[in-house]
Amino acid sequence: MTPVLSVRNISKSFGAIKAVNNVSFDVHDGEVLGLIGPNGSGKSTLFNCILGQSTPNSGEVLFKGDSVAGKEAHELNKRGIGRTFQQLSVFPQMSVIDNIIMAGQEHHGTMLSRLMGAPDAGLTEEAEQLISFFRLDHLRDQMAGSLSYGQQKLVDAAVAFMSGPGLVLLDEPAGGVNLTMLEHLKERLQTYNREHGSTFVVIEHNMEFVMSLCSRIIVLAEGVIIAEGSPDEVKSNQRVIDAYLGD
Amino acid sequence: MSEFIQIIVSGLSAGSIYALAAVGFTLLWQASQTINFAQGEFVMLPAFFVLGAMGLGAPMWLAIAVALGLSVLLLGAAFKKLIVEPMLPHGTLPLIIATIALGLLMKESVKEFYSAQGQPFPPIFPTEVVRVFGAAISVADIMNLAVSFAAILTLQLFLQRTRTGRCMQATAQNRGVAEILGVNVKRMVMYTFLINAALAAIASILITPIYLAKFSNGETLGLVAFIAAIVGGFNQIRGALVGGLLIGVIDNLSAFYVSSEYRAAAPLILLIVIIMVRPQGIMGTSEGRTV
Repeated sequence: MTPVLSVRNISKSFGAIKAVNNVSFDVHDGEVLGLIGPNGSGKSTLFNCILGQSTPNSGEVLFKGDSVAGKEAHELNKRGIGRTFQQLSVFPQMSVIDNIIMAGQEHHGTMLSRLMGAPDAGLTEEAEQLISFFRLDHLRDQMAGSLSYGQQKLVDAAVAFMSGPGLVLLDEPAGGVNLTMLEHLKERLQTYNREHGSTFVVIEHNMEFVMSLCSRIIVLAEGVIIAEGSPDEVKSNQRVIDAYLGD
Repeated sequence: MSEFIQIIVSGLSAGSIYALAAVGFTLLWQASQTINFAQGEFVMLPAFFVLGAMGLGAPMWLAIAVALGLSVLLLGAAFKKLIVEPMLPHGTLPLIIATIALGLLMKESVKEFYSAQGQPFPPIFPTEVVRVFGAAISVADIMNLAVSFAAILTLQLFLQRTRTGRCMQATAQNRGVAEILGVNVKRMVMYTFLINAALAAIASILITPIYLAKFSNGETLGLVAFIAAIVGGFNQIRGALVGGLLIGVIDNLSAFYVSSEYRAAAPLILLIVIIMVRPQGIMGTSEGRTV
């Protein structure tokens, strides 16, 4: 079966520094893959190469068997790759529901329908379902910029799941989120994965969060994969302990 | 009392035209972090397009249509493609200097190739006055107010009630995310420049019958519109509207009740007060900066 995402021999250098060095892995349908490693290990560079925001020096990225080379981020979004950002990425002066509608409205329509058609592009119902799923109903019409950090992270996640993407890249979803909100976020992501069979790739430094969310973990250090396996296998891997986890 | 009403209405009329130019400032800033110091000249030039077209025999309505079209093409599309796009990657400061240079070029070109003398500009509205509570109110003032408000209201409705407008808002609020969500950011920024040019052309056609068409008109207009945008709030369209109206009224009141010699100082005093008391502007919101 064709993997949802194939990363083949990706290398990316910045001057003399090899940020990513010949990295290859596949992500299969419905899988939740964790990508961990110390700061500067190449995780975000790899994400940027996958999303076309950075051009690799060599190697290729395939989404559902098709090369994504030369595709811009918005084209990949239309093809079904959603993402969240390390930093907050809501539209602060738009309501929660408008933020979520915004995530889906450019997937279809003509220039004329964009000017003359319904402003919600017929997506209000779908957006409301996501709002309910992430239990944000009471915040539906509030400006996203007025929400707490954790609430904005949930809006961010809902935005990434709009229009049912085949693959969602989550960049440090737990960063800066309090424990209560973190449990809620993890439970919602697990439920979404179970109910919709969505595929996730997660970059995260919160080990408890990533180990309990992901079925497989890849560990990067200095741009290369140093370990790969189930959370338990990775936790007990001596190279990972030495390079990242510590005692 | 009748004098007071007259001054207020006349101030609101001029202020609404300043607001059109000020809205352009805020639009360009939000969409592309461009501060256009040639904005005054953008308001000066379309009047000469009208005069040029009329000189070739076009009736007034056609000359206005030609001026609008030329403005959108030259002050919108060409300005973005030929000046903003090449300069923006070098930072805000080089772009600011480029717009100052463009303003000078436009001003001197009109002076050199058209005329250094003020040119009479045909009134586009009836010159009669109507009596309201004993005050003689010019029909042109009322029409200027109505046209300016209609233009700004149409813009607001476009931004809030159409998908394209929402994409423009998304681009202004978080360009990177908008791009990833499929918004054609380059096109949205281009629309912003086209809208700014159209607003400048409308402002030009409304204000020139009051001041005559002169190459130096942009100096005052650009400064007043810039101050109006800061006073109202540089990141809010409704702020630019409030700023423009306020400056128009204060300008008129100070000219009548204090001295016309201090007229030009009134907006500057207002600017200083606003920067000291509420730096984000009357309607503006504070913007965080990572340092």
